[in-house]
Amino acid sequence: MNISPVHFIAVPLLAAFLIPIIGRFSKEFVKVIPGIVLLYLSYVAISLFPVALKTPIVEVLAGWKPPFGISLVYGPLAAYLTALITLMGFVIWVYSYKFIIREPIEKYYMLFMLLITGSTGIILTGDIFNMFVFLEITAIAAYSLTAFLRDKDGAEAAFKYLLIGSFASSFFLLAVMLLYASTGTLNLAEITSKIDSVAMSTRILILILFLVGLGIEAELFPLNGWAPDAYSQAPSPIGAIFGGIVVKAAIYALMRLVFLLFNFSEVFHFLLIMGIITMIVAEMSAMKQQQIKRMLAFSSIGQMGLVIIAFSVGTSDSVQAALFQMFNHAVIKALLFFAAGYLVFHSGSKKISALDGLGRDKPLTSFFFALGALAIIGLPPFAGFWSKLYILISVADAGLITAVVLVLIASVIEAVYYLRVVSRLYFNKESAQETEVRRTPLTGLLAMGVLALVIIVVGIYPDYIWNLLKPAAEELVNKAEYIRIALLK
Amino acid sequence: MRKVLAVFLLGIMGFYLFSSFSEIPFGENRATVGDYYLENTVLQTGSVNTITSIVVSYRGFDTLGEVTVLFLASTGLAAILFDNKGRKRRRQHASLIVRVGAHLIYPLIILLGAYVFIHGHLTPGGGFQGGAIIATGVLLMFMSYRSFEVSHKWLTYLESFAGISFVTIGLSGLIWGESFLQNILPLGVPNELFSAGVIPIIYIAVGIKVGAELTGLLDNLLKTIK
Amino acid sequence: MIFYISGILLILIGMYAVLTKKNIIKIIIGLSIVDSGINLLLIAIGYVNDGTAPIFSNETLKAVDMVDPVPQALVLTAIVIGLGVTAVALALVIRLYDHHKTLNINKIRKLKW
Repeated sequence: MNISPVHFIAVPLLAAFLIPIIGRFSKEFVKVIPGIVLLYLSYVAISLFPVALKTPIVEVLAGWKPPFGISLVYGPLAAYLTALITLMGFVIWVYSYKFIIREPIEKYYMLFMLLITGSTGIILTGDIFNMFVFLEITAIAAYSLTAFLRDKDGAEAAFKYLLIGSFASSFFLLAVMLLYASTGTLNLAEITSKIDSVAMSTRILILILFLVGLGIEAELFPLNGWAPDAYSQAPSPIGAIFGGIVVKAAIYALMRLVFLLFNFSEVFHFLLIMGIITMIVAEMSAMKQQQIKRMLAFSSIGQMGLVIIAFSVGTSDSVQAALFQMFNHAVIKALLFFAAGYLVFHSGSKKISALDGLGRDKPLTSFFFALGALAIIGLPPFAGFWSKLYILISVADAGLITAVVLVLIASVIEAVYYLRVVSRLYFNKESAQETEVRRTPLTGLLAMGVLALVIIVVGIYPDYIWNLLKPAAEELVNKAEYIRIALLK
Repeated sequence: MRKVLAVFLLGIMGFYLFSSFSEIPFGENRATVGDYYLENTVLQTGSVNTITSIVVSYRGFDTLGEVTVLFLASTGLAAILFDNKGRKRRRQHASLIVRVGAHLIYPLIILLGAYVFIHGHLTPGGGFQGGAIIATGVLLMFMSYRSFEVSHKWLTYLESFAGISFVTIGLSGLIWGESFLQNILPLGVPNELFSAGVIPIIYIAVGIKVGAELTGLLDNLLKTIK
Repeated sequence: MIFYISGILLILIGMYAVLTKKNIIKIIIGLSIVDSGINLLLIAIGYVNDGTAPIFSNETLKAVDMVDPVPQALVLTAIVIGLGVTAVALALVIRLYDHHKTLNINKIRKLKW
């Protein structure tokens, strides 16, 4: 059996179906399976990457050629995002290994596997209804994981997320329906080639429905009310999954659809404004937060705003910068969530004020948090600096000086609230109460260490990743090429 | 105030939805991919039920996702209600008539469910419908008998086994054919039970899986009394 | 045409219930009504005047007389997805009720929007 992109979906699915049976015999082995699967998927992702760069792979499913069957389109962009998701998934698994000690562990890993399936599915599929199915898989797994701790607030956060998410999926389905009714097909490339014959009013309605439907998962203002609660109530690795995987898949879906179907300058202007509002509002809200994970969640929304700004400039360079920022955000925010998870665990409180002086007690975890904070603000030796710089350059090239200024202001706000936490970690006097000394497990430190290493290495050699992203950005911008590839012409 | 705002918002939405839909003529034959399926289903898949051939073959990947959604729902539900394990169902007395009637109908409902999913490629019906029918049979028994229990161990086995066989059929298409979920069996004569290649096999797996999952869901949701 | 109108009306009624009702169970019922409305619309889109079910059970049936099968296949998927979401929602309601002993959303909502 040759390696093919369909493994990204089939193998984790198989693992999720196998886990309950294996769980009957060995509880320990269940914890290892996701690691093996994700390691294999990372191997697949890395070995297919050069292939996809040369010639995009179109995987026909069930033997029916597009547009009659469902096909997976594995171009440079999909290759990059699946590689990001599987590698991040592996690191998150390493971290979860000792972090998730609450039963039902088996269910946690099943949901985790299905979340990976769903989000890779969104990225790979070339069919709009199939995308809806995978969006729902991702969403339902995310609802369940939000309520995983089964406490009061977790259930509320999950219910709120579910309510908003169901609205999103209804809107998405309505849009898919309108597209099918007016173009007679569900294949994304085929729809793109026929979209011009659709009446403008219908097209605008479809756009609005998609914006609402995907904007909720992509944390676009004002549809992101669920995010802070879900991020802060879910277990910390799940926060990392939301920020590192789910949001990335949703943004991909949104941008793919906008670039293919609604390639008007007005749409990009609208998105630009929404991105700016999202960023500013989120950063302001992050300032006010008392809980560390809520603060991280708002910062995550702000970063997504920045990504959307970069995407909506719409040039190849800015898209490339946006993809770079997505990479950095996934890595850095995961590191922050990991570190915050253990800081919260050690201090026994979700409050920022409880972190006083932890820098001496927990030097490594605090160090990783500080490193992540400096990186996400965008200080020079770290990865975050380069992506922000590239975004600013590309935005300035497009002549949007106001946007540049606003991004800079947002960065300053970001710096203030992150440095506030870091200074509390290191410079505040330790609060009087003595908690029992608990050590951060080795797996947790290992996961954080790897991410920190990535941040530093990418910070020193940004060109390597930057050049990899060039074909991916061009794929997203070039609509005709996508149609040609996906329809196997 | 809230209601006025809701009516206002929904009014706008309804207006735009309606004006878009009025551009789609009702009841007219539009050129869609559906025409291709109608013309080619019997020749290409051997299944006379076009919907089944779309669901299982042409868009079989959707069905894999659909099965996953159900699996996910039952997993998520079990995770959320994990510490409800020791709980019981609210037990009401059912009258003698109901109990005897339920006992008589129950095997027939299971049989009907199995019939519906085995004949999915020939008649209206299929794995999901059949599975749902089976679950209603179990629900009837839950409602009428105090002592009726299902074994969660066996439900898990059935569920996982059916899921694994679906993915394995898919992967075997990749090994012996050219693509995932591709048909690797002879198509047979249309309108016969043993026809349409892997479609009936997949639908049987789906039927078993859906039946087991919905039964598990119902059992979990009914157990609310400590 | 009446099918489009009724489908859209169902969607709006369901959404109205979700937006204004205080009882969580009623909200979930609202979500289900939205789902039904969408499914109905989808089926209506695929209808062809005087069309029959797309099953070739005997030779006299012609492909031209049949309704579009694709929306029906999609509805099958959409129904199952709606069911999955409803099941998870109900599980969350059971959890919420355990913690708060009420189903009134005003008494539950502590997390700010």
